Amino acid sequence: MEKIHVTLTVNGDRIEADVPQFQTLLEMLRDTLELTGTKEGCGQGACGSCTVLLNGRPARSCILLAAEADGADVVTIEGLAEGERLHPLQESFMDKGAVQCGFCTPGMILTAKGLLDRNQNPSKTEIITSVSSNLCRCTGYKKIIEAVEATAAPSDAT
Amino acid sequence: MKDQVTVVGKRQRRTDSLSKVTGQALYTADLKLPRMLHAKVLRSPHPHARILNIDAGKALRLPGVKAVVTSADGHGVKWGVFKYTQDHPMIAGDKVRYVGEDVAGVAAIDEETALEALDLIEVEYEPLPAVFDPQEAMAEGAPLIHEDYPRNINIHVHIEVGDVEEAFAKAHLVREDTFNAAGEAYSTLEPYAVVADFRNGYLDLWMPNASPHVRAKALSNLLKLPLNRVRVRHINVGGHFGSRSEVSPGDFVTSLLALKTGRPVRLSLTREENATCTRQVHPMKATIKTGVSKDGTITAKKFKVVYDGGAYSSTGPIATSIPYYVYEEAYRLPNVTYDGYRVITNKGIRGMYGCHGRGFLGGNEMQLDMIARDLGMDPMEIRLKNGLTPGEQTATGSVIKSGGLAEPIRKAAEAADWNGGKSGSPLGTSQGMGCVAIMCGFPMGFRSGSSCYVKINDDGQVTLVSGVVDTGMGNESMMVQIAAEVLGVPIEDINLVNADTEITNLDPGAYSQSAAFVGGNAVKNACEDAKNQILEFAAAKLNYPAEDLDLKDRMVISKTDPEKKMPMRWVVREAFFQGRPIAGTGAFMPKIDFQREWVKKPYGQMAGTFSYGCSVAEVSVDPETGLVTVPRFTTAHDCGYPINPMAVEGQMEGSVQQAGMAVLMEETRWSEGHLLNPDLLEYKMPLACDMPEIESIIVRSEDPEGPFGAKEGGLTTRMNAHSAIACAVHTALGVPLNELPLTPDRVLKAIDAAKKGDGK
Repeated sequence: MEKIHVTLTVNGDRIEADVPQFQTLLEMLRDTLELTGTKEGCGQGACGSCTVLLNGRPARSCILLAAEADGADVVTIEGLAEGERLHPLQESFMDKGAVQCGFCTPGMILTAKGLLDRNQNPSKTEIITSVSSNLCRCTGYKKIIEAVEATAAPSDAT
Repeated sequence: MKDQVTVVGKRQRRTDSLSKVTGQALYTADLKLPRMLHAKVLRSPHPHARILNIDAGKALRLPGVKAVVTSADGHGVKWGVFKYTQDHPMIAGDKVRYVGEDVAGVAAIDEETALEALDLIEVEYEPLPAVFDPQEAMAEGAPLIHEDYPRNINIHVHIEVGDVEEAFAKAHLVREDTFNAAGEAYSTLEPYAVVADFRNGYLDLWMPNASPHVRAKALSNLLKLPLNRVRVRHINVGGHFGSRSEVSPGDFVTSLLALKTGRPVRLSLTREENATCTRQVHPMKATIKTGVSKDGTITAKKFKVVYDGGAYSSTGPIATSIPYYVYEEAYRLPNVTYDGYRVITNKGIRGMYGCHGRGFLGGNEMQLDMIARDLGMDPMEIRLKNGLTPGEQTATGSVIKSGGLAEPIRKAAEAADWNGGKSGSPLGTSQGMGCVAIMCGFPMGFRSGSSCYVKINDDGQVTLVSGVVDTGMGNESMMVQIAAEVLGVPIEDINLVNADTEITNLDPGAYSQSAAFVGGNAVKNACEDAKNQILEFAAAKLNYPAEDLDLKDRMVISKTDPEKKMPMRWVVREAFFQGRPIAGTGAFMPKIDFQREWVKKPYGQMAGTFSYGCSVAEVSVDPETGLVTVPRFTTAHDCGYPINPMAVEGQMEGSVQQAGMAVLMEETRWSEGHLLNPDLLEYKMPLACDMPEIESIIVRSEDPEGPFGAKEGGLTTRMNAHSAIACAVHTALGVPLNELPLTPDRVLKAIDAAKKGDGK
């Protein structure tokens, strides 16, 4: 199979690789780079378990070719903490009980990070709209929304 | 004592959450072992066919293919939960009975090669007439799917208490209605996967499972390997809800491939395979006849429920009975007849579901509302009047130990500003109430109690060994909390080793509400054993009576003289030097009637205790489009005592989604034995934007036998949220709703039927 040369940044590391032309970014992350924190839930872009940040925006790595990520800056769940220091979303997901089986958690946290990076002070409606791109089967979403709200910058009195 | 607890009863960060928010938590499909092969399964394209021949010659010659297995590689052992339900060969032998049934497995150096090999396996089928509808399957002359189930009736559960006909004759009012409910999909976010590794005569297995011990036992039988050579290992599980309770064909196929190749093998199912080839949920049709006296007392109930069982027995009599039991555990039924039929059809295999029984339960509750309305009663009052109270017995003879229906009803009603069940205009908001009770500590005729070992290491740190498994709900964290409370150490001092059949002792598994009540009690007993040993040593050292000592903050401390204390680790080291290391054991088995049996004798104490719950839904319905929205949902659950209130709320909130909102949208759709919506684009599940404002109310009944009074964390919501929403829609529209889920098309049909005068 034809291979394509790609150069990308994954969690701050520069990666050069020859990827099979039909390899998805998800396969590259999980199989080649062994970053298994990114999950495959459906393989068709429906559930959001495979969400990573691609140049800062949430993207579904199961329906994205590795070749399409050439030149991109990719962040996976493994790249969120700074050393021992967790990202505030990771802390608040634990504090609020937003984690149950954990399979949707990496994608959910990265989706929320994508939102908060664009909008530090989202309304509850904006949070709900944002996390509605991802499926969770365990929590009923309430504690996930609370966790994102708790991480967002203190809102103006509205 | 409860006043002094420091770890249980508190909102705690779950011990498993750190690995889950950092991406370190491993699930089965994440595992990669040296020399690991990849498996794919050849599946039946026919709903019903005889297998005449399988030729794998070409597949085996494909470079990279290491092995092909068929039923010839097994031992001809069939699986079923009970002796009388052992009908599932796990790889088809002479016949296939559903589309997607496992016919052959391939192990190859990568998935692409394994997939290519599937195309090279030649299977000669002789298609047979198939039957998909349970009513047709039960008819005389229907194609027989198994030789030994006449009219394809797999299980018939018959329960008879009192004199139903006499009670109907004397009743003030009698109603009969029939309700149909489509099946749901479990839709765990983690698709099914198995890793099997056979070396030195031992088979190691990883798969999402809800009971490693029950799974290992089944595989030991299927593979004819001694139980200690089948080691089901600990792994994170990406959701369960009933779907991971029983052994799966993938376990068997992957094991055979590992045995044949001598190399580790991983099978990862696609989302579509997960939906069609692991277990599914039973569609059902429930005919409910109810008689009441003038004051709303239920005097008689007669039920006929037909369950679409799919191709094999699976959980057979359990699935055929549970909807009825959770109903009789909630309400007083002096005269009752229940006939449950589980019918074999040429569709995929089925299992228990956390929300199992919406057609039956939602039907009963909607009918109760109709009766209340006819009698001029508040739907809440009729529920309170008929709800069981502690000390009473269920119709089939289980004593209610704690709780009762009244408190959850009153608490939910108060918080929801219950409006008396007044029929609102559809677009305004209308309320509906659903109630249920759930058995906790419920061995089901094949499951064990739980046992636990605890050792205190010489630095005072604790290793806790329990068979309890966590499929996402927080059981691991709960066991750690219980141990920390008893041993007087912080949570971080406890290393939990669990759900690994090489090390852990028997445990019933994370289904049917056993973790808190059974597993939790075993952990508590083991830790109390260790604690008593520590206190005995300390008493000798401090020259103080052991009864006056307690464990707190890693110290042995006097209850009367707080100055009198010493670090626990000193005592532990002393014990090691004396050759009597501190190691506690504990076990728990609920007190039940062991003579009770699903079909032969469905009478006697069924479970250790029962939890109670009530949900109130508020809906508005657009009569033009049929669209139902749910602005608000209130649910009260009697969990006995919340070990971690945050986790209990999480279970309740998840249940509002999976049972409640599902009754508006979730259904599997079929055509000629083919599942039409096996993926997550076509199978609609609730998203964050679909959810109501949820208020979860934890009711405490302090069960006399539960650990710290705990029973179970949230299943009543899972079994009554569908009823609450269905009742609310029914109240809004005032027309019979006999088909679930309440998708817009069904709602419009119900409105139209009522206009034409079809309904009553």
